[in-house]
Amino acid sequence: MVIKALSLYQDRTSLVHTIDPITKLVFILFSLSFPLILQNIYWSVGILIFCILLLLLGKVFKQTLPILGLSFILLLSILVIQGLYSPKNETLFFSVGFIRFYEEGLLVAVRIILRVTTLLCSVCILVLTTKPSDLIQSLMKKGLPAKIGYVLNSVMQIIPEMRSTMATISDAQRSRGIETEGKLITRIKAFFPLLGPVIMNALVSTRERSMALEVRGFNSTAKKSYLVEPTFSRIGFPLQIVMMVVLAGAIGWRIFQ
Amino acid sequence: MTSITVKSLSFYYKKEDPILTDISLTFDQRTTAIIGQNGAGKTTLVKLLKGLLKPASGEIWINDQDTRVVSVAKLAGYIGLVFQNPNDQIFKSKVIDEVMFGPLNVGQPKEEAITNSMNALLMVGMEDKKDDHPYDLSLSERKLISIASIIAMNTDIVIFDEPTIAQDYAGKETIKRVIHDLQKKGKWVITIIHDMDFVAETFARTIVLANGKILLDGTTREIFLQKDVLVQAGLNLPHVTQLGYLLEKNKTVLTIDEFIKDSKL
Repeated sequence: MVIKALSLYQDRTSLVHTIDPITKLVFILFSLSFPLILQNIYWSVGILIFCILLLLLGKVFKQTLPILGLSFILLLSILVIQGLYSPKNETLFFSVGFIRFYEEGLLVAVRIILRVTTLLCSVCILVLTTKPSDLIQSLMKKGLPAKIGYVLNSVMQIIPEMRSTMATISDAQRSRGIETEGKLITRIKAFFPLLGPVIMNALVSTRERSMALEVRGFNSTAKKSYLVEPTFSRIGFPLQIVMMVVLAGAIGWRIFQ
Repeated sequence: MTSITVKSLSFYYKKEDPILTDISLTFDQRTTAIIGQNGAGKTTLVKLLKGLLKPASGEIWINDQDTRVVSVAKLAGYIGLVFQNPNDQIFKSKVIDEVMFGPLNVGQPKEEAITNSMNALLMVGMEDKKDDHPYDLSLSERKLISIASIIAMNTDIVIFDEPTIAQDYAGKETIKRVIHDLQKKGKWVITIIHDMDFVAETFARTIVLANGKILLDGTTREIFLQKDVLVQAGLNLPHVTQLGYLLEKNKTVLTIDEFIKDSKL
């Protein structure tokens, strides 16, 4: 049985992979707020290009494309709607037959598209180059309660595990003559014999898991240590400072401009 | 007419990582044990027989039905499989309903399903639990229920996946009796199993799988004579057989009864 992990993490060796998760989180914040503060479309383009460069550096650009592709339809519709119907529309940009696109609306749309793509890319930098467990561990060190950390971690494991249990249960019921393929009504009928064992198994395993956690001191109030200490590049913290300073500078520039 | 034919069967999830390679097999009325290390491909093989997986190449015919074409639900009328974990199938709130679920699915009329189910429960010795809630029973009892629910389907072929797990001595004896009873009724019984003592006591034929290939195939006595090959495949001999070899070389003792009869004491 092949269990698919519920994570987009790509195991590569690159400079981006060695940066710690917190710095990447700060970068998401930075890449979003910096163009917003400066309100200048060239900066937005610049940051987006920078994100893409980082993705290329992290050798994960190819994995970003399907994620971008998914949002492409939505973004295209923004372009059409804003271009045609934005209330600010005055200057005709171009027209196809009787369909008229206006400059103001298109500009608004381009800004939105840039923001969304930047957000997606910077989140991809985090998600594609960071092990989920490393991210959660970093957050726990920054003060995230261990219980919430456990919940986040376990979701990553339990969902694929449940998926494989589902497959086994479905096999067991098909073996007893339930037709699972074909008409909608047969599929609906086949659903109920699956539900019982899935829920029962989930309940039973939840109880066992909680007991297993308890015997290993899950509720202990002692300071927790970590089995694996991932080593990250030391450049992370200075980078965070630089981003904060640049951001503060941008805010200052906007205020006193 | 019962028949199982496996022709040059191969299977993989990923091409570079084959699970079964070029297996050709036929089964017969002899009770058959399939043994092998974890990961040797035993469960994959029976899932293929059952039609739950489709061959990557080669073919499998069950009672003149091509498993590549016929749906699993259709095949269920010919071939029953008892899963390793009974919790994967039990969903009714009464034992008798659970056992009757399979028979009704394969088209037995209600009266017949009731008779078959009661007989199956009798066979595994659980007839007095018929109105209990399955989850009020112990795991080993639930396992017996899951066995009964396959037997009640009255298929020509019955496959067990690790039937003796979590069973005490009495449970194992029950399962041994069930296997013999099924064989007497003309059913073909195939079992995946790790318990070598149980293999030696129960099965006429043994097939050894290793790394997705058939390493040995013969009567159980012939198989346990090849102790070096078995050890290489990471398998143990039955305890009493080991003792036999230690005391008297070149003689294969399979069961305790045999051992006692043979001993010169």
